[in-house]
Amino acid sequence: MTAPLLELRGLSGGYDPIQIFQNVDLVVERGQTVGIFGPNGHGKTTLMKTISGVLEPWSGDMILEGVRMNREAARGSRRFRNFNYAAITRRRMDPKAVARAGLIHVPQGNLIFPEMTVAEVLSIAPLAAHGRPDSAGPGLAEIDLLFPRLGERRASKIRYLSGGERQMVSIAAGLLAAPKLLILDEPTLGLSPKLRLELEHSIRKIKEMGVPMIIIDQDVGFLTRLIDRLHLFDHGRIAQSLEHADIPGHDALMALLFGEALT
Amino acid sequence: MIMSLDTFLSVAAGGLVLGALYALMAAGLAAIWTTLGIFNFAHGAFIALGAYIGWQLVDAQAAGLGLVVGVAGATAAMFVFGILFHLALVRPFERRHDIVIASVITTLAGAAIIENVINLIWGPRSKQLGLIAEGQIDLGFLNFPLNDLVLIGCVIVILASLGWFLGRTRTGRSMRAVSQNREAAELMGLDVPRLYALAFGISAAMAGLAGIFIGGIRFMTPTMGTDPLMTALIVVIFGGIARFTSPIYAALIVGMVESFSNYFVGLYWTPAILFVMMIAVLFFKPSGLFSHHQRTL
Repeated sequence: MTAPLLELRGLSGGYDPIQIFQNVDLVVERGQTVGIFGPNGHGKTTLMKTISGVLEPWSGDMILEGVRMNREAARGSRRFRNFNYAAITRRRMDPKAVARAGLIHVPQGNLIFPEMTVAEVLSIAPLAAHGRPDSAGPGLAEIDLLFPRLGERRASKIRYLSGGERQMVSIAAGLLAAPKLLILDEPTLGLSPKLRLELEHSIRKIKEMGVPMIIIDQDVGFLTRLIDRLHLFDHGRIAQSLEHADIPGHDALMALLFGEALT
Repeated sequence: MIMSLDTFLSVAAGGLVLGALYALMAAGLAAIWTTLGIFNFAHGAFIALGAYIGWQLVDAQAAGLGLVVGVAGATAAMFVFGILFHLALVRPFERRHDIVIASVITTLAGAAIIENVINLIWGPRSKQLGLIAEGQIDLGFLNFPLNDLVLIGCVIVILASLGWFLGRTRTGRSMRAVSQNREAAELMGLDVPRLYALAFGISAAMAGLAGIFIGGIRFMTPTMGTDPLMTALIVVIFGGIARFTSPIYAALIVGMVESFSNYFVGLYWTPAILFVMMIAVLFFKPSGLFSHHQRTL
């Protein structure tokens, strides 16, 4: 049996000294697209940042295609509160190593590099796939098919793009890195319904290209139409995992998350 | 008339030379400021060290390797030195949230150490590198020293290559990406620690070149970088750092102001005038004259 694409075992983390999520176990099978849904401020984004190595995990393991990406936990042995351990210890997880291994995280918020042009951002995006043997990802031609709008905006700075176009640049940059797993953190945030629909169309195409994804979003309908499995995230842990067929409607989901009182 | 045309032109030419030097220093300073988000107080010491290494390699009393080899060697040595400096004094604090204040202390300490080591190796007696090129060039209306012309030409070439590097190469673009959004750059798999080290190396190499140019027109002392560093700071605040060209315009303005205020008001008033200008800019347009966004410290 081959190892799953991504496996989290008892992952905990947060912003020192505040723990945001604890003991998260999550498995993403190969070829699967999963959604994560939950209230704001409960640690979804923090969890994703920890998976991609930007934040250091406190404990637990992150395993990508059977390879553990984090070092052994060293955190528990930190006896002196004000000692600069960062000076003498290496990071528990290296975001570069994670990205080069093929997990690409498209961050929340879309103003990635405000003073760079679209063409410049797209030109450095494939660097993440450098030195990986199976790095034949989509090229610029595919990106143009996926996001026709970006074709005519190549010379514009990100700062001058609309919210939707910025999101498209972020996702396009992620795709050029030949991802084995693509994390989209709230791609529809702040987009108009029309743009949401356009984006949904593009993300479906990405799925058809065979790129597995983890999508975080507040729009259940949007999620349900795109994913194979839904994880409900609440108070820093995964409260429930649902197969696609079992995903209830919006109201029932709210009841699941918040109890009967709120429905 | 306040001044004759000849005097005006020669004062303006002096301002142009100063502006070119300040542009070189400010661009080096801004390279670290924008990329790492810290202020390198050792930049002045880098300037002095570059000048002394240059002297060691070029001067007939020392290695005597000739100008071209000497300057190239000193630049390369400063590049390596900048990377080592970053590794020893900045890198250990990069994952701390108080990196800004920690780096103020460590770079100030580094500056003191470098200046004292220069003093120990080369002694406190001032040295001079000698002019890059002798003679004058007659432009018809003005006799321009050839040295100044070469200096301005070199600065233009250096800054143009830096612009090419930042705008056209993948490594340069990656460096800009890191400076604009570190987290997103990390998520794209860019090697942030290496890009930081590279920024330090480039900055130190540019400081070293500035030191060599200054050593040609002024006497070298271990603390020769302190005053230019202050002016370069004014330039960076004056121009803003959104684009790498903005400190260059500001450097020209500051160079001109300094040159003319030296002539009209006197040498000792010039720093006061420049600092008043800086405070005025901070008051009315904190992001700098030529920019609309400021890297927050």
